[in-house]
Amino acid sequence: MRVLVVEDDAVIGDGIARALRAEKFAVDLATNGEDGQHLGETERYDAAVLDLGLPIVDGVTVLRAWRAAGRDLPVLILTARDGWSDKVAGFKAGADDYLTKPFRTEEVVMRLRALVRRAAGHAASVVTCGALAFDAQLGTFELDGLPLKLTAFEWRVLSALMLRAEVVIERSDLIERVYEGDADVDSNSIEVIIGRLRRKIGADRIETVRGRGYRLTAGER
Amino acid sequence: MRIVPRSLSGRLLAIAAVTTLAALVFAAFAIGHVLERFVTDGLDRRLDAQIAVLAGAIDAQGRFVPARATILPDFAEPAAGWRWQVTDAAGRVTASGAALPIPPRLPEPGRGPHRWPRGADGGRSHLRSVVLPTPSGEVTIVAAGPRALIERPIRDAMTPLLVSLGLLGLALGTATLVQLRLGLRPLRTLRLAVEDVGAGRRAHVPEDQPVEIRPLATALNALIDRNAAGLAHARRHVANLAHGLKTPIAAIGVKLGEPGRDPDGALAAMLRDVDARIRHHLGRARAAAPGGTGGRVLLAPAIGDLVAVLARIHGARAVTIAVPADLAAAIDPQDLDELAGNLLDNAWRHAATTICVAAHGEGGMLVLAIEDDGPGLTDAQLIEARMPGRRLDERGDGHGFGLPIAEEIAELNGGGMALDRSGDLGGLRVRVTLPRATLAPA
Repeated sequence: MRVLVVEDDAVIGDGIARALRAEKFAVDLATNGEDGQHLGETERYDAAVLDLGLPIVDGVTVLRAWRAAGRDLPVLILTARDGWSDKVAGFKAGADDYLTKPFRTEEVVMRLRALVRRAAGHAASVVTCGALAFDAQLGTFELDGLPLKLTAFEWRVLSALMLRAEVVIERSDLIERVYEGDADVDSNSIEVIIGRLRRKIGADRIETVRGRGYRLTAGER
Repeated sequence: MRIVPRSLSGRLLAIAAVTTLAALVFAAFAIGHVLERFVTDGLDRRLDAQIAVLAGAIDAQGRFVPARATILPDFAEPAAGWRWQVTDAAGRVTASGAALPIPPRLPEPGRGPHRWPRGADGGRSHLRSVVLPTPSGEVTIVAAGPRALIERPIRDAMTPLLVSLGLLGLALGTATLVQLRLGLRPLRTLRLAVEDVGAGRRAHVPEDQPVEIRPLATALNALIDRNAAGLAHARRHVANLAHGLKTPIAAIGVKLGEPGRDPDGALAAMLRDVDARIRHHLGRARAAAPGGTGGRVLLAPAIGDLVAVLARIHGARAVTIAVPADLAAAIDPQDLDELAGNLLDNAWRHAATTICVAAHGEGGMLVLAIEDDGPGLTDAQLIEARMPGRRLDERGDGHGFGLPIAEEIAELNGGGMALDRSGDLGGLRVRVTLPRATLAPA
């Protein structure tokens, strides 16, 4: 899962990024509205954390621009403005959730997970695919009822596949959801991660659809 | 007792009444006097003609020669009051009837006929006399006519004259009243415009006024603008203060969240306390800086937006909204959001399942009622709930100022707030009154 954080305060931005990375998210950080708008329009993210009081372009304008460009990623507004008019304006501009400063970073993580889960169409917090279970609220995987230990990259790939189980995820899509914007991406690294995941959860659970991408299946056919 | 009335129209009316009355009285006296002089002059000419004829009958020795005197037709009937009398130089008196009284003050000899003062003959007669000097002494000729000849035409003329003047007075009084109504109408219109500004039905008073009032309207508008600018400044200041304080607090919170920085959570607790205090004061400051006059907002869309937002933040509730589509409040839109947002947020936190929002107009005001099916409040809690900082519910993250802030906003906008128990749902019912905007929102 890859998240865009648009926050001009360095301490807050870095703090959120650190907390999200500790929870295995891939994080891109923009420190002004212009960069944030550009990233949101050109890169693929599972969710965004957006401050409203941003330099150059304000947060509501950024959000409107994203929505106008057809970017439907879930957006959590994180702002010092706690007036009801600000909240109404934020939601009207297309926000999915609203958190006022000061906040607890754990809450940002929890709300982002909920947003991503709901955006993928899952009402319940636990998503299952055969023997595999993903607690989308806690971010934990279980296989046959036992906790599954995953690296950050493995977690990002598996959570992306899990939230769209039985659907082919394109390879390029997967790469975009796994690597941060400034990472050097080795063209074969996704295959390496998939290989490791197959060893951990069973080779037949992740199908390779030639020329297209990968599909997570219940593995019972 | 107050002589000068307090009311402007009272003063103008009093002045108009006094001057009109004085003018009418003066006119009555002046016209009466002119008329009397005109009638009297006519009688004088007739008496003087007889005196001239009698004077021609005085011989050189100052004796009156009756054979030389012609008696004019008027004087043929002494009983009707037409009489004459000659007193010759030797003191012999010749008269047409009963002797006439001695003139109270004899005129200068040799001058023209003289009019006697009124009442010399018991008021019945009008007398003229002349004193002619002769070598043998002075000859006095007196002629008298009936005074009724003067008084009757005057009496006949004065009755319609006074009636006319009375009617004129009435017409002038009516004109004054009409003039006052018309003349003072711009003041009344301006007063209503100021009331409209106060109730938020218009932003400014119209400056297209009569010359005398235009400076007042301009000054009022300048005052309104200064007031609005001051409020906008205060509001901006509060918003900047909120941003300026909360961002560093958030940053400190993030830093404290890093491993090892605040092992026992004591610093985080202190930070939460600081945050609570800042929220408290900013909430109060925001409520105390209303959006100024001239605001108008349709209730239904504003409530709809807030309900949608709260459903996203807290999750869905069964919400019934009964707000007429054309009902508008005379309040700044942000103030309404803050007021209704706090109350709805409160309802959302406490409702078991259901919230009911209803509004209706009551004359110049509107009533917004928000009810929930939560536990509600006891009488003691109802009082406590409106004291700033007394949070009755410690479950949510609300800063405990929802009700007092809502009440303060309502009162600053010329409305009010009442709390009681919902009859239908059993929980808390908050009834807010606000001035109603009669015009469609701009």
